[in-house]
Amino acid sequence: MTINIETVDVTNALNDIDQFCDIPNARISGEIFYRSDIYEQELEKVFARCWLFVAHESQFKKAGDYIATTMGEDDVIVVRQKDGSHRAFINACPHRGNKVCFSESGNARGFICNYHGWSFDIAGNLIGQHESGVYEDSNFDASQWGLREVPLIDSYKGLIFANFDAQAPSLKEYLGPMTWYFDALFDNQEGGTEFVGGCIRSTMDCNWKIAAENFVGDILHAGWTHDSAARAMLGGAVSKVSDFDESYSVNWNGHGYEFALDTVGNVAVLGESALNKYLHTIKPSVAERLGDFRSNMIGSVSSATIFPNFSFLPGQNTIRVWQPRGPNKIELYTWVLVNKSAPEDIKEKWRKGAMMTFSPTGVFEMDDGENWEYCTKTARGKVTSKQHLYVGLGPDTLLKDTDLPANVYAGQLNEANSRAFYQYWSDLLKAPNWKAVPDRNVGRTEAGESAAQCVNKEMG
Amino acid sequence: MFYKSEDNTPVSIDEFHRLHRLLAREYRLLDEERFEEWLGMLHPDIHYWMPGMENRRRENALEHGFFDSQHMALFDDGMRDLKRRVARFLQPSAWAENPATRNVHIVAGVEVFHSEISGEYAVYSTFQSIRARGLDEEYVFSGRRYDTWSDDDGQLKLKKRLILMPNATLNCKNINTFI
Repeated sequence: MTINIETVDVTNALNDIDQFCDIPNARISGEIFYRSDIYEQELEKVFARCWLFVAHESQFKKAGDYIATTMGEDDVIVVRQKDGSHRAFINACPHRGNKVCFSESGNARGFICNYHGWSFDIAGNLIGQHESGVYEDSNFDASQWGLREVPLIDSYKGLIFANFDAQAPSLKEYLGPMTWYFDALFDNQEGGTEFVGGCIRSTMDCNWKIAAENFVGDILHAGWTHDSAARAMLGGAVSKVSDFDESYSVNWNGHGYEFALDTVGNVAVLGESALNKYLHTIKPSVAERLGDFRSNMIGSVSSATIFPNFSFLPGQNTIRVWQPRGPNKIELYTWVLVNKSAPEDIKEKWRKGAMMTFSPTGVFEMDDGENWEYCTKTARGKVTSKQHLYVGLGPDTLLKDTDLPANVYAGQLNEANSRAFYQYWSDLLKAPNWKAVPDRNVGRTEAGESAAQCVNKEMG
Repeated sequence: MFYKSEDNTPVSIDEFHRLHRLLAREYRLLDEERFEEWLGMLHPDIHYWMPGMENRRRENALEHGFFDSQHMALFDDGMRDLKRRVARFLQPSAWAENPATRNVHIVAGVEVFHSEISGEYAVYSTFQSIRARGLDEEYVFSGRRYDTWSDDDGQLKLKKRLILMPNATLNCKNINTFI
């Protein structure tokens, strides 16, 4: 039997949201990266309400396989059931709250609390306790004291998301037409994708939004921040993004994807020519599957964030969650994604390439960490934290007559996605419930007829 | 040489001294940012491996218990990869390295054995890496190393290194050094 979780009471919205997040005027303030009262509101109004990535289906092979992770700061376990479905439970015993699962992954017949021996099956039912007689003497109703289940769980192309808010829109509605773009990475070959084994975790003293926003639409930093890494990996500078004829920033519900159509700009920085070759080899079949347009995105200069804290880089194939750990700390959980059908040596090259570039030892990520930490730390200064920060690039770039789905903006050197990210964030902080979240989407909800093949470049 | 291998034949005091000096020199070079000289201490066929630690139950052990050669790693490098990492440190545009990260590497608990292969040594040690940056950043982590040092052109060079850090979560933003 499913035990409903207690919902989080919605506290009143902060009264100065428009001061620290003024998107109509393209301004935010550093305090959004530092204030603990804002962070408390985020845990309640963002992380306890939005769909959060918890696992990839390839991490589960049989019933009882589990992954322990967190949703916001809440510990959860995702467990594969006998019928092949996945369920997520709060990783805390309903007796005194101790963790019931201490390992990050594995296979179990159930979970037994170390404290008083409460024992749960993989469906979360309480099936026994140490000294069970004493419970019988107390008229204990075990059916009411199973593991607390996360009410919503769903998946898209292998990516499993869960949601603490039973009133939330469906995952399909939440992701909206962004899935059309996500398919360029997650569904470009028959059989889909899988995670390489293992998960690398590290910490940064930065606010989670800095990292999420970097991936939602900030390619601008790459040519400058990552110059040293590019020269080390490629022997030269990274592609100059402003030289691309055609590139886009697209967003929906705070999710964002910025991309060029150069096919291999991202994968090239892994410095493994076999991976460029692999993408060129599969490209015709991707074109057949998804159309010419998206076949140019499979490893192009691009990045994406699914709101609030799930990000990925097509080509480098690094997948990550920025786990919030207080206003100015995150834990990074990172994985490597490969096509299931890819040859083993290609998968191996991606495993190593992602490590060399985007991991705590990666030559690219080292420079990101410095920037993100100090974007956060400067906001410790009370005066500094109140100063405006500029997010105004690309003010008139919305494409009105395009067959491409979602809110589409011309050019990836553009802060349209960052603005959309912060706008959605502030909308959530203001809204007492999902119904009160304004719909600011203006683009198509589905790709038009010509989207797969050609693109209307006229600006609105 | 490998994790949890049986001890082989211990070396003479002279050989121990020779290897111990190499380990000390290696860390002095790293602390002094003499990366190209450090690369010179590595065998062309080097495998430099620092696997990710996974927090698993004993009954769900991976290939080597807490780690697995097919899983994600912090380093899993050959010579080409290590040269690329050094190349990045040496770029004038490595903004995060200016001002420099200041390093101290400590090696302790050194054991040296003859390996099964003639002319090769199995060298075990523990390490601590201390890094300071800016005015107030400090990052310390420790672990254990399993090395193979091998003769290359009359010089002993590092041919294999397995680095085990006990942490399943790295408690800082990066590892911008070598271990």
